[in-house]
Amino acid sequence: MSEGVHTEKAPKAKRPIDLRRDLRGGVAKELQARVKEQNRIRKAIRAALADGPRTVPEVAAAAQTPAHVLLWHLMAMRRYGDVVEVGERGDYPLYAVKEG
Amino acid sequence: MTKIRDSYDALVIGGGIAGMQAALDLGEQGFEVLLVEKYPSIGGVMVGLNKVFPTLDCSSCICTPRMAESAHHPRIQLATYAEVRGVERRDGRFTARIERKARYVDEDACIGCSKCELVCPVDAPHEFDYDLGARRAIYIPHGNAIPQKAVLDIDNCIFCGKCEKVCPTECIDFAQEAEEVTTDVGTVIVATGLAITPMSRKPEYGGDRLVNVMSPLAMERVQSSNGPYGRVLRPSDGKIPRSIAYVQCAGSRDRSIGVPYCSRVCCMYALKQALLMRHYVHDVEVTLYHMDIRAFGKGYEQFYRRALAEGVRVVKGKVAKIDEVDNHDLVVRVELLDEGGRVEERRHELVVLSQGLVPACHLEAVLPIEEADDGFLHTPDPKLNPSHTTAEGIFVAGVAAGPKDIPDAIVEAGEAAMAAATYLTARRANGAAPAVLH
Repeated sequence: MSEGVHTEKAPKAKRPIDLRRDLRGGVAKELQARVKEQNRIRKAIRAALADGPRTVPEVAAAAQTPAHVLLWHLMAMRRYGDVVEVGERGDYPLYAVKEG
Repeated sequence: MTKIRDSYDALVIGGGIAGMQAALDLGEQGFEVLLVEKYPSIGGVMVGLNKVFPTLDCSSCICTPRMAESAHHPRIQLATYAEVRGVERRDGRFTARIERKARYVDEDACIGCSKCELVCPVDAPHEFDYDLGARRAIYIPHGNAIPQKAVLDIDNCIFCGKCEKVCPTECIDFAQEAEEVTTDVGTVIVATGLAITPMSRKPEYGGDRLVNVMSPLAMERVQSSNGPYGRVLRPSDGKIPRSIAYVQCAGSRDRSIGVPYCSRVCCMYALKQALLMRHYVHDVEVTLYHMDIRAFGKGYEQFYRRALAEGVRVVKGKVAKIDEVDNHDLVVRVELLDEGGRVEERRHELVVLSQGLVPACHLEAVLPIEEADDGFLHTPDPKLNPSHTTAEGIFVAGVAAGPKDIPDAIVEAGEAAMAAATYLTARRANGAAPAVLH
């Protein structure tokens, strides 16, 4: 390119996903906080189940999370194949991390 | 998404069992039908039920063939995730304004593979499971959904882009916008279905604050094998419940909450759930507290007797209030009517409120029709023309006209379709132009 010719790089067009995020003003703070809490609880559930199958109250105590909240997260993990029911202890089903 | 044409013979509003039946009956008679459903899948309430009374047939097994028939019928076009915003009479026909909500997914390209759902990192309460279960921010509505197409819940999206990366057909479309389309129809059938009496109407029962007080529709999902827990558990701690109470007329026959009528299905769905509970949890004690049992339909009284024979306890009593005690157990304060009105407090691990039926929506602002005092659509000639509304050419089917069970909703849908067909045929005989421009 000859000296003195000024060239400007055309700005890269924004992707639709970025445009949509901008249009909505980014990710809402409440949603960010909820996802953070979701990740914390999931990590705690995996840690609690690492030593073997446990019931919902047992996992809830280990995760320091109310049992009804813990149940919701555990069932979400069960729905998507991360956790399985493996038996019962008293009046409660036992859950374990799915192998593989 | 599939284009909505300029004209149809009939518009059916609501893709539940009544709407599907009306659409199928019209389609089979040669009429072109547009079936509009506000949720991403057709099927309505019925496809989420566990089993139906009194036969205990699997509800979705009965419902899904009708869903498939409706979707594949050559003369029925589905518009899911769409809502009718206005219907105006014009030159003897109707002009309908329909809002198609943005799925952020190209409906024609999506193959329903669920890959987007599996990689999505955000879980949200699943409406299909009455929030007891979870789904992802992008998800297929449920296993029996028709169409089997993903929908992106933009309010729960963190714009990570994982769904876009994994989609084999590149159908994720963040540029999609909601759109309003207009179409011309010859007749309208309203089949907008039901909601249940809000929990908040009976604060003394604690339905909107006590975690183990459940709605009957949530219990349908809990009892379903593909429900949120995969088995019957109580929501507070995942315990297998050993003592369950059903509180009848917890939202019907109650002038204090503005629902003076009997909802006609609560006794039977409660008996059905109670009986099934005895099958699912063999040592469970199930008690129905009721004013009287109304088992009026074909085979219903026999079903009631069967429930009694299989150990369901039926107690004539009016529940005054429900309180939570330790371990989220519940104490039901009940006036025992067969014991001279003696008041007793009984402890249960789970309570289901037999809430009544109310209209799913109010349409007076959308359609040129009138509602009755109870909020359901006014049918001025209920004995001889039960599907006729106050507007010529607009008909009603199912619970939109008043509380009823599934068989009655289907019968009424057939009647509405026949009335609509008669109306269209008569107009054509009188020189009206053919409805559809092919």
